[in-house]
Amino acid sequence: MSFLIRTIDHTAAGREIVRDRTLDQNAITIGRSAENDIHLPDLAVEQRHVGLTLGDEGNVAVRSLGGLGFTIDGRTETQADIDPDIGAEISLGSARLALSREGGGPVQIVIKQVEKNEAAGDALQAFALSSALPSKRAMAWTMASAILILLLTVPIITHLTRDPVVNDPDVESEGQVLLDAAWSSGELSMAHHDLEDNCEACHVTPFVSVQDETCLTCHEELGEHAATGRLATGMPALSTGDAIQWQIAQTLGKEGPLGCVSCHSEHEGPVKLEAASEQFCSDCHNDLDTRLTTTNLGNAADFGKKHPQFRPQFFTAHFNEEPSRVSLDTNPVEKSGLLFPHDIHMDENGGVAGMAVSLDQYGQPLECSDCHATEPDGVNFEPVEMEEACESCHSLVLERTASGFRRLRHGDVDDLLEDLASVQNPASGSNSSSRVRPGQFRRGGTYYSNFGRPVRDYIAISRALESDGVCGECHIPTARTGRAGIVPVNLPDDYLVRGFFNHEAHEDEECADCHKADASDAATDLLIPDLESCRDCHLGESAIKTEEIMPSGCATCHGYHTPTMPWRPEDHDDLPGGPPNQTPANQTIAAALDRKTP
Amino acid sequence: MATVQQSRYGQDEKRRNADHVSFLKHRNYRWLWISLLLCVATGVGYVLIDQEPRPNGGTWYGYTLGTIGLGLIIWLSLLGIRKRRINPGGWSLKAWTSAHVYLGIALIVVGTLHTGFQIGWNVHTLAYVLMLIVIVTGIYGVVVYATLPSSLSSNRKEMTRAQMLEALTAIDRQLESAAQPLGRERSDLVLDALSQDTFHGGALARLTGRYPRCATRRALKQFGEPGTTADRDVATPEDRVRALLQKRADQLGQIRRHLKIRARLEIWLFIHIPATIALLAALFAHVISVFYYW
Repeated sequence: MSFLIRTIDHTAAGREIVRDRTLDQNAITIGRSAENDIHLPDLAVEQRHVGLTLGDEGNVAVRSLGGLGFTIDGRTETQADIDPDIGAEISLGSARLALSREGGGPVQIVIKQVEKNEAAGDALQAFALSSALPSKRAMAWTMASAILILLLTVPIITHLTRDPVVNDPDVESEGQVLLDAAWSSGELSMAHHDLEDNCEACHVTPFVSVQDETCLTCHEELGEHAATGRLATGMPALSTGDAIQWQIAQTLGKEGPLGCVSCHSEHEGPVKLEAASEQFCSDCHNDLDTRLTTTNLGNAADFGKKHPQFRPQFFTAHFNEEPSRVSLDTNPVEKSGLLFPHDIHMDENGGVAGMAVSLDQYGQPLECSDCHATEPDGVNFEPVEMEEACESCHSLVLERTASGFRRLRHGDVDDLLEDLASVQNPASGSNSSSRVRPGQFRRGGTYYSNFGRPVRDYIAISRALESDGVCGECHIPTARTGRAGIVPVNLPDDYLVRGFFNHEAHEDEECADCHKADASDAATDLLIPDLESCRDCHLGESAIKTEEIMPSGCATCHGYHTPTMPWRPEDHDDLPGGPPNQTPANQTIAAALDRKTP
Repeated sequence: MATVQQSRYGQDEKRRNADHVSFLKHRNYRWLWISLLLCVATGVGYVLIDQEPRPNGGTWYGYTLGTIGLGLIIWLSLLGIRKRRINPGGWSLKAWTSAHVYLGIALIVVGTLHTGFQIGWNVHTLAYVLMLIVIVTGIYGVVVYATLPSSLSSNRKEMTRAQMLEALTAIDRQLESAAQPLGRERSDLVLDALSQDTFHGGALARLTGRYPRCATRRALKQFGEPGTTADRDVATPEDRVRALLQKRADQLGQIRRHLKIRARLEIWLFIHIPATIALLAALFAHVISVFYYW
């Protein structure tokens, strides 16, 4: 049992000096003191620092002698056991002692002086994760520049250098701005779907919000809801937040709460344009008269609770040129110039019914539709034509001719006069002498000529135009123009001009449920149903839907831009991609205003 | 003078006490309460304020939330500058950090309400997502800073990083001399193990602690199980090398556990910081684009 001590030193030139010595003992000591078996002249080493003892099983026990630890295989310990067959390395101060044993030989201790490892500090850097990843700064700059170039610079430069498109309602030009799709905060509505890749069609000028003018290049047919000044007056005060926002927005060029985009906000997804909510209308109309004092509109909010009585337009006096709008609350009298008792015609047991039953054309008592025909769209009714609707009973037949019957022409008093004057009137002649001209010269003969005064013709004409004459059955006689005539028939094209009523949607109802025609004995009865009768079924938007009750918002009957045509998405199946909804010119607000104020 | 001294002492005492309070608990969770108040206030506003036509960044409330969010983001990102300014003044880095954490978390609420829950493939949502990434990594950072350092210290076993490396080189030196008698093939295995960079493997290897190309492990595997010859009481060079390789693997294991904990402790900053800068860029693009295409 022995130790082989091998000391390796270096000369100044770097040459190695190896000295071997063998210690035949089981225990050795290591320290700074010269009496140690291994003497290490190093101040960092204790006088007697470590003792090595060879055990029976060949292992080496390393013990600290002075209490100060030693480093073994990099760890600082005060005692350790080494299997020399595996080996270990003990560091003491600047000396490094490598223990090993080859075969069954002595325990070999190789002593070397350690050179200070200057790179050790650098190696420690490798423990940080930064040694395995790109630097944070590089990543930050790369990502930031990519974002600023791709998502900001490219769209701005291509926007500024594009060729401006002046007017393109059919969306034939393609978007020229690159990568601005990344700016879109959401898909466009279905109506504007074609503009999805053409941001600059609406966003024309940088930092200027979408202008009404741009909208109107395509939607030129849209009318204003009311004059802008009146709209502004009628609007309720904005909330503080909204007021501040609009103040800032208008300073920055936004067109204010009356601009198109303030209601028609885009980029809310591929939605259809929805009808406005009741709240949208009632914001202004709930107490409109308090702000817009000159309005003649009644306040309205919830149809079931707050809505003015209907004011249909009709003629309130004979000979009027224009119809007037009168509230149904004032028991209005319609002066249409016609005499027509609905009750007689609708009485199923009356004479009219009997007449109708006898005629092949009807075969049964009259129904409303026998006279009133719906227009092809089912919404409104055609004007009643006398020839179609009345003449099968109220005959205007004048005389029998070779080919059938000749009838008075209807519709113009001058035609009537002409027709009556041309009649070869077979006068009774009973009050003249019994003598008659012979042959073809007799009255009614080929060569007969009436040389008398034309009294009978005038009588016939004036009789026809009298109240018990053939015209007077339905018309009111007048001599206003200085000669016999009738009061002109004045029926409006539409009764309800600021609202919309779809007859087809009410086809399950009987006509008489709303129009009290069977109880009307005069044409002066205005048979337009009033507000209350509509409320039997229709209540406001907040009403609960039942079998009888239909919750109805303002948009059921009214439109914002088109008063006689409420906006209903189902009317616009051509969306998306189709041409913008073409509102017939006569249905715009402007047209309605024109109609009202001649 | 006495009062000055008195207050000076009181001030110092206060500071000494404060030194031992976590930034999370700073001033009795002052910033936690402020942040909660901010969240509740903005949330209540979102619910109660009628935003036409629907809540999003373009209503006045949306703009308000956006402005608050923008201000918060810019201020939060200034922590990087603040912490580098080690100069006296009436600002406490601890208070700043506390506010940074809690206001940053409150930003989730403010930012999300600002979006009006409208998400898409655009620069606006990019900014929002980057913001969320920054916040989530920040929360991760707070959590690991609170939990991982103790495991880091228990893994050290009172060794410094330098000692760990030193231990490894000590083993390596022994391996080199112990492997002298080996044949070419086995020498190459040892050589591979010795020449392989201690820190080989990328960030992923560090994070997971898996090093599939570890040459030491491979060498150990090739050396196989120790010989079972019962009568052999003398260790062969193979046995020595095998045992040393095992020691080397153990030492590497400690180093790698250290690396793993360290990586998990540091990784969030490698996302948090670049994502913050990217967020500032995206935020700039977001604001400019919104008003460019107003």
